[in-house]
Amino acid sequence: MKHFRTRPLPRPPRRGQHLLVLLPLLAFVAVTLPAAAAKVTLDPSAWGHPAGADCVSCHEKASPGIAEQWHQSAHQSAGVNCMDCHEAKAEDVDAIEHEGQIIATIVSPKDCGRCHEQEYAEQAGSVHAEAYAIIEDRVPALAHNVTGAEMQAAGCDQCHGSEVKVRGDGTLDPATWPNSGIGRINPDGSKGSCSSCHGRHAFSKAQAREPDACVRCHSGPDSPDKEIFEASKHGMLYAAQREAMNLGADSWIAGQDYTAAPTCVTCHMGAAGKVPATHDVGLRNAWSLNTPVSEQQYLVVLDDGSKLELPASAKPPKRGTELTKADGSGAKVKAVVTPERRRLVMSTVCLECHSKTMTQGFMTQFDNVVELYNTKFGEPAAAIMAGLYDQGLLTPLPFDEPLEFTYWELWHDEGARARHGASMASPNHAWWEGMYLVGRNFYSRFLPEARAIAGERAAELVDGHIDGAAGHAWLAATEQANPILGWMPPAPESEPEPAAPDAADGDGAAEADTEAEDVAADDRSTTEEGGR
Amino acid sequence: MIKLNPPAFITRHVLFALVAGGVGGVVFMFFLLEFDDYTSSNAFCTTCHSMTYAEESYRRSAHYDSASGVRASCGDCHVSEGIIMATYDHAVGTKDLIKQLFGANYDDPVVSLLHLPEAAFAAREWFRKRDSATCKRCHTLDAIQGTRANTAAIHQEETDGKTCIDCHLNLVHRKVPSEQTFKREAWNAMVEEEFGLAPGTAVRLLAGAEFSEPATAPAPATKLAEEPPAGSSGH
Repeated sequence: MKHFRTRPLPRPPRRGQHLLVLLPLLAFVAVTLPAAAAKVTLDPSAWGHPAGADCVSCHEKASPGIAEQWHQSAHQSAGVNCMDCHEAKAEDVDAIEHEGQIIATIVSPKDCGRCHEQEYAEQAGSVHAEAYAIIEDRVPALAHNVTGAEMQAAGCDQCHGSEVKVRGDGTLDPATWPNSGIGRINPDGSKGSCSSCHGRHAFSKAQAREPDACVRCHSGPDSPDKEIFEASKHGMLYAAQREAMNLGADSWIAGQDYTAAPTCVTCHMGAAGKVPATHDVGLRNAWSLNTPVSEQQYLVVLDDGSKLELPASAKPPKRGTELTKADGSGAKVKAVVTPERRRLVMSTVCLECHSKTMTQGFMTQFDNVVELYNTKFGEPAAAIMAGLYDQGLLTPLPFDEPLEFTYWELWHDEGARARHGASMASPNHAWWEGMYLVGRNFYSRFLPEARAIAGERAAELVDGHIDGAAGHAWLAATEQANPILGWMPPAPESEPEPAAPDAADGDGAAEADTEAEDVAADDRSTTEEGGR
Repeated sequence: MIKLNPPAFITRHVLFALVAGGVGGVVFMFFLLEFDDYTSSNAFCTTCHSMTYAEESYRRSAHYDSASGVRASCGDCHVSEGIIMATYDHAVGTKDLIKQLFGANYDDPVVSLLHLPEAAFAAREWFRKRDSATCKRCHTLDAIQGTRANTAAIHQEETDGKTCIDCHLNLVHRKVPSEQTFKREAWNAMVEEEFGLAPGTAVRLLAGAEFSEPATAPAPATKLAEEPPAGSSGH
């Protein structure tokens, strides 16, 4: 593990110019968010277990890797030893006896929360902590049916977390362990895994602030956030100026302690100016981006400390209303944070480096992409699928028909890539890896497959959902030639040597009535006719 | 030549009794040696069907199959060295025989597994009380090298006040938690799940209900093949 020792950057001279912008935000922040970066407030006498020295002495030999990581850690400097985190009570479900001590292998967020109270409270109920609960019911339909239950342990659960099962003989069921997925259901009932981002046993601040801390899960076809970040200007600057990131600093406030570039943490969790750090990683997200259709979302804070996201299209729940959480349990509404508020927090981070105009412009571009995806592809595709299910033309069972894979990839992979690409400013992912593929899929696979399934009712069940929509009107203009594919109709008055610019002239080409053009039009005829 | 003048109380009868007693004693010692030896053998132990479950995991352990060809028998580990202690252990061990004959139906794999934890706790205590003496018949602390870099150092430097069994439990037989952290309900649930039994069956079986309830017939022996392999140390 590398540690970056960097010179502290001079504090940027410009401050206060955004104060007016910040004022309404600060009022919100003061009420709903903890005020400062978390310091452990527990008395040091609460740690430094006497048996810890024995653990270290033996583990220096038995597992020198983790022992050395700990030796170099802030935990070691503070006198926190193995037993302080791993100690368990004999009655704990996963307690084991190890060399005369009662310990547990799993150190849950609740265990970490003994000292790191604020981080524990923030991550509880976050979209990270709920990552397993959110997909628990859906996993079997894809991982178990399409592949096999084995893939849940090796795939899904490694990011989303597993529901750790302790067997009667005290061992942890290998179908659920090892696991450091972020929404892990721990034997003590707590949700999450701090070591998902904070690598054991060094728990280095610098490591967790690296974009690489997120890469294990936020990469790949459905959430290529690593690739998006790297392909963005933010990632470009980070790569070039990494040594100026001050990653190992105690205080790590964007705009104060570093200005070279933002990382994932900076925007989604980090302190920036007066915006406090938070371990609720989804707090600043106004949109849901990994859904068939994106929705702006309320963040509902519940009275048991957990949180819930609800679509902004519905009425916000009133204070005191009883709501059902992802895991089925209920809690009362304590506070509701609107999507506008959430966006405001995120935008305030931007303001550390960008102007308000630029920030708003960027957010507008992002919102436009999400709304385009929704109205042009997400909503019609969802409606077409719903119609086919309702009419019994698709079986209720997911993934037993090719169209279901097509639809899944449309929103879950390509659609998510497009939206994530726009959200984090990677043109490649917004377009080539994203919306271009959405369009290609929609017109060349999804619609033809859906029409084939709908048969004679295609006009009603499929094309009815895109007819008349402005975004799909271009299909009707079949005479509209363009040189993008390397072909243009011959100029109306064919000379032996026609001038090149004339041949490429779109208006002239459209008027030409040649056999070649008819062929080209026929190629699109299925789509076009279906659209009527 | 010195003429032997035995004391007057050494009559012919006394002399005969001494010779007969001496010969009888020697014969008895030989009998005990042979008895202890035979009753320590794998063949003897597994004449009880219930012991074949212990044999299953033993046969998959390094104490049965080792690269060196050394094979520890049941008695090598579970019967003390020396004729006196070996005989004592066997005498105490007759309580197991009595339980086998008059106690629960240990031949039933379910009943056997349900009772395994207590057996394991007792065996560990037995090792602990004897400072793991039977381990040390073969293993000499000073000579332990191991295959990993620091195995020798760990055994030299980290074993003060510890005896082999403190760390090396669950070495040969099926894994059982330590007594301190053992949870009977979780164990019962595991057994019920493993044998496809209705919840609550374990409690009834432990209460001695197995003889009257046909629903609790032993599961096929093949089930045992699905057991997790034994042989991991307590580390």
